[in-house]
This record gives sequence, C-alpha cells and structure tokens, in this order.
Amino acid sequence: MQTNPILSSVESVAFMAALVAYLIAAAFYFIYGAAKKDRFGRAAWLMLLMGFLVHTASIVARGINAGRLPMTNQYEFASAFAWGIALCFLIFVKKFRFDVLGMFVSPIIFLVIGYASMQSKEIHALMPALQSSWLGFHVSMAIIGYGGFGVAFGVAMVYLLKNRLHGPLAQRIPAEETLDLIIYRAVALGFLFLTMCMITGAIWAKRAWGSYWSWDPKETWSLITWIIYAIFLHMRLRRGLAGKRAAIFAAVGFLCVIFTYVGVNTLLSGLHSYK
Amino acid sequence: MENQTRQPQNNSVNGTAGKLLRFLRGMPFSFILLFIIIAACVLGSVIPQGGGESMYTQQYGAATGGVILFLQLDRVFTCWWFIALAALLCLNLILCSVSRFPAVCRAWKSGGKREFGLWGSWLTHLGLLLLIVGFAAGQMLSREAVAYGIPGSTQPLGDTGLMLTIDAFDVSLRADDTVEQYTAALTVTNASGETRTGTASVNHPFDAFGYSFYQDSMGWATWVDIREGGELVKTDLICTGEYTYPDDFPSLALLFNKFYPDLVQGEDGSLATASPHLNNPHSLYSIYFNGNLMAMNLARPGQPITVHDYEFTMYDPVEYTLIVAKSDPTAWLVGAASAILLAGLFLSFYVRPWEQNRRKQHADQSDS
Repeated sequence: MQTNPILSSVESVAFMAALVAYLIAAAFYFIYGAAKKDRFGRAAWLMLLMGFLVHTASIVARGINAGRLPMTNQYEFASAFAWGIALCFLIFVKKFRFDVLGMFVSPIIFLVIGYASMQSKEIHALMPALQSSWLGFHVSMAIIGYGGFGVAFGVAMVYLLKNRLHGPLAQRIPAEETLDLIIYRAVALGFLFLTMCMITGAIWAKRAWGSYWSWDPKETWSLITWIIYAIFLHMRLRRGLAGKRAAIFAAVGFLCVIFTYVGVNTLLSGLHSYK
Repeated sequence: MENQTRQPQNNSVNGTAGKLLRFLRGMPFSFILLFIIIAACVLGSVIPQGGGESMYTQQYGAATGGVILFLQLDRVFTCWWFIALAALLCLNLILCSVSRFPAVCRAWKSGGKREFGLWGSWLTHLGLLLLIVGFAAGQMLSREAVAYGIPGSTQPLGDTGLMLTIDAFDVSLRADDTVEQYTAALTVTNASGETRTGTASVNHPFDAFGYSFYQDSMGWATWVDIREGGELVKTDLICTGEYTYPDDFPSLALLFNKFYPDLVQGEDGSLATASPHLNNPHSLYSIYFNGNLMAMNLARPGQPITVHDYEFTMYDPVEYTLIVAKSDPTAWLVGAASAILLAGLFLSFYVRPWEQNRRKQHADQSDS
C-alpha cells in the first residue's frame, strides 16, 4: 500500500519517543518509590503524560496515513492497547491521587508498547472483512476495557506487595480500602467496555458472516475473561469479596486478558487471525 | 394425631425441595456452572473442533483421542452436556431473577426517591438470560442455505422455496493486487414469481424475502469437455475440489484440485500464483480410476489430457461465488437482550454504585 513518507516518519519518531518516554517514566516512578522527594513522582507523571501525547500523535499519524483506524494488526492493536492503559492510568491517578501506582502500571505500558515495537509496522490495506464501521467501535471498546483491566492489575500488584514494601514507597501507598475501591472501579470500567466490545463484535460478525458467535478462539477467550470478571464482580457486590482475594482475582483476570490478546493470536488460529 | 404425624413428613419434603430450590437459585450453584463452562471453553479452544474421529486418534494417540471422542470434546460447544450446562445456567438465572424481583420492587417502592440503579443487577441477569435464550432459539429456528455458481447461473436455494440467480460477480483489486471487495449481483425469485435484485458484498448482505444473502467466499471453476474417440460426449462445469467423469464410464474421473491464475514454481517444486491475473493460468488436476489415484499434473486451459480412449480438456476458467442465505427470526431478541444487559451493567456500576452503598453501610456501622 502506498503511504506518505512524511507521515510514516512522524509516526515512527513519535512512536519511538513514546516508547522512550514510557521507559523514563517507569524509571522515575521506581526512583520516586525509593526516594523521599516528591519531585520524581511529578517528573514521572509528566513524562508519562508526554509519552501519552506523542503516542497519540503516532497513532493519529498512522491513522491518517493508512486512511482508517489503526487498530487492525498486532502492531496497531498492541500500540493502541498500551495507549488505552496509559489513558486509564492517567484518569485513575488524577481521580484517586495515587501517583505511586505508576510504579506498577508504567512497566506494563512499556512492555505492551515494547511488544508492539517488535511487530511489523508495514501498513496494509484492509481485507474486505475488516472494512466495516463496526471495526472502530469494536476495537475501541476492547482498548478501553483492556486498559481498565490493566490498571486493576497494577493496583492488585500494589495490594499484594504492599506488606513487602518499605520506606517512602510504603508511606505513599493509599489505604487498603482505597486500593480495593480502585481495583473494583477499574474492573467495573473494563467489564462494561469488554461487554460492549463483545456485543459490537457480535453485531459486526452478524453483518459479515451471518452469525453473532462462532466459538472462534478469540471469542471463546473473551467469554472466559468476561466470566472471570463477572464472577469477581458478583462476589464483590454480593459476597463482599475484597482484600487479597479480590486482588488475586483481578490479577488472574488480567492474565486471561493477555492470553486473549497475545496467546490466542499466536497459539490458536481462527476468524480473528488476520495475517 | 394423624395430622401431627404427617406434618413432619411434609416439612421434610418441603425442606428438601426448599433446599434444592435455594441451591438452584444460589450463587454457589452459578459459580460451579460458570467454572465448568470456563473449563469447557478452554478445552474447546485448545482441542480442534469438528475433526474426524481418525484425526483425534492420530493427533493425540488412541487413549487420549478415545477420551476426547467419548467426552465429546471434539464438539464441545454443541454437545449435550454443554447445552445442559447452559440450560442449568438459564434455570439459575430465572430462579434468581424471580426470587429477587419482589425485593427489588419493594425497595423501588419504599424509597422516597426512585432509584433506577436498584434495577441494575436484576436487569443484568435478565439481559444475560435473554441473550442465552435468544442465541439458543436462533440456533434452532434460523434457516440457512448455500448456493454457489458462476455469473449467469440460476439454482434453487435449498428448501427455502427461493431461486437464486447470480447475475454478476466481481472481485475488485487494488493497485497492489490485494482484494478490495467481493461483490455479487443477485436476483432472488420466490415461489410466487416475485423477484428482488440487489448486490451482496462482504459486510453488506442483501436482504430479500426474509433472508439475508451473504457474499461468503469465492473460487475458480472451469469448463471441461470430455471426448471419447474424438467425439464430444460431455461438457461440464466444475469448481475446485469437484470431479467430472464420462457418464458411460464413471470409474474414470478427473478431479479439479486447484487453479493457479499466474503460476510460479519454487525451486523446491512448490506451486503458487504470482498474481490474481490470468497471466500464466494452470490447473492442477488428478485422474482417478476405480477410486485410485492414477496421475496428478498441471494443465494449461485448452490442453488435452488423454487417458485411454478418453480426452479431458479444461478451458475458460472463471471465478465462482458462494452465497449463504440466512434467516434468523430471533435477531430482535438478541438485540434487545444486549441492550438490557448493557443498561443493567451501567445502572449497577454508575447510577447506584454498590461500592458506595457498602462504604455507607460500613460508615453507618462504625457510627453506631
């Protein structure tokens, strides 16, 4: 596919800048965790915000260059996945004033965008099945949903490691009730968007193939993830699931998310294997 | 006295039934079902589905393959026990929804301010229930028929009572030869002779007479002339994967394996096509006699293939399209169920956050 070389360069430079910014942000967050001064926390947050902004520029440049939403292959989705986690992180940090969360979430963002950097960045024209306005809705919902689950995972890690942390870091970690609340809120956000992702995917599948659901491995693993988080929410709302068990549940759920995204695409084949 | 002796018995029956009912509508039962469904889904995604018996014994060995077949893990999502699990989950959702309905109504009426969020959890359960029921009903009530052919062909569409004419079929290519779209122009005629015309392309089905017509896939077909002693005895049109044979000598057959519009051969002998254009067209064919493979080779269009007294000539390769017609009378139910489910989740999480209630309860308890 013919592409604009200037836009390709903008995308590439912005992507690398985002990758580096997320790495520096993660490093600052670790220093912040160990140091007594708050300025490292502010620097880390600013670096992550900068990373998010240049990452957005990279995605926009690719979208313009490709003439479509850049969310259709492993590189594009991984990049958008990292972007979604960064967005959810920025919102949750702002809302709950919980800077040290960055120490646990920024490495996840870096790992996901790092995975994206290892994928082919070539822009391909879309195959007919992917030429649908439902693509944007479906994948956007997945990105925000996965972002929510990513934040929940990060907070769950904070919760599980809380007692092993010492010094300034331990003092900056909010009370267990607050961590618990953030995990729930992040999972609830992720669950709502995962549900919308699955419903928009089903509507799209109906338009493209004539059936909502084909038990394709991606669909099946999305359902597994959905059930796990549904059990989590049920147990929390009805049985008061909280604390360590809730944190473990949120962490296991995110492992399912990762498998649904990476494992299914690489290990299992199906309708979602657009190669 | 009699009554007194009977009373404990009745209580015991009611007690057992009550316990069973409580178990069936309870959360532990739903969790047991959901964990089994998760396990089934994992197995169904890892074990190839819908293969033949021999495939499983070859791939997994006789013992494991036997277990897979015995437990129907070769068709997890359509086997009786998976359907039974879904049915039990529906039962659990029904009993849970029915038992909670009065309490939700009371709470709704008792509060001074109407809290729509009270319905969140209940609507979520209802939406999920309707979604499963709608999907299952769709599996049972939906109708499907498949037809394939080249432009100009007309054929009955399964048992739908409809006739399908493929007026045209176009594969639009981009400059780099990647496919932009597959489009079939169709005419559908019903038993009364009414006709509807339209186009079906990927993501854009054509709707007519209660059916949606999907552009499903495409392939290559070829005309074949069969001559015996130089005399034309049969002209046939076959698609890739199909046979043709002389009507008076059916034990001799030609199989049209594959078509390469622009054949290129790798150093290792592998065959591929360089482009979708007919620059170097070749057909890969096989000759069978009494069911045994006699020969396999490539032939250009028009190149005769001689076998004993017979001569097969493949010519005029043409693209065929495969159209799938589907009707699903439950689509509205699935759509409504999805909307209810989303509304329920939104109400649960954002209109009346349970977490806030829990915290309020904790605070109240602390104050008291």
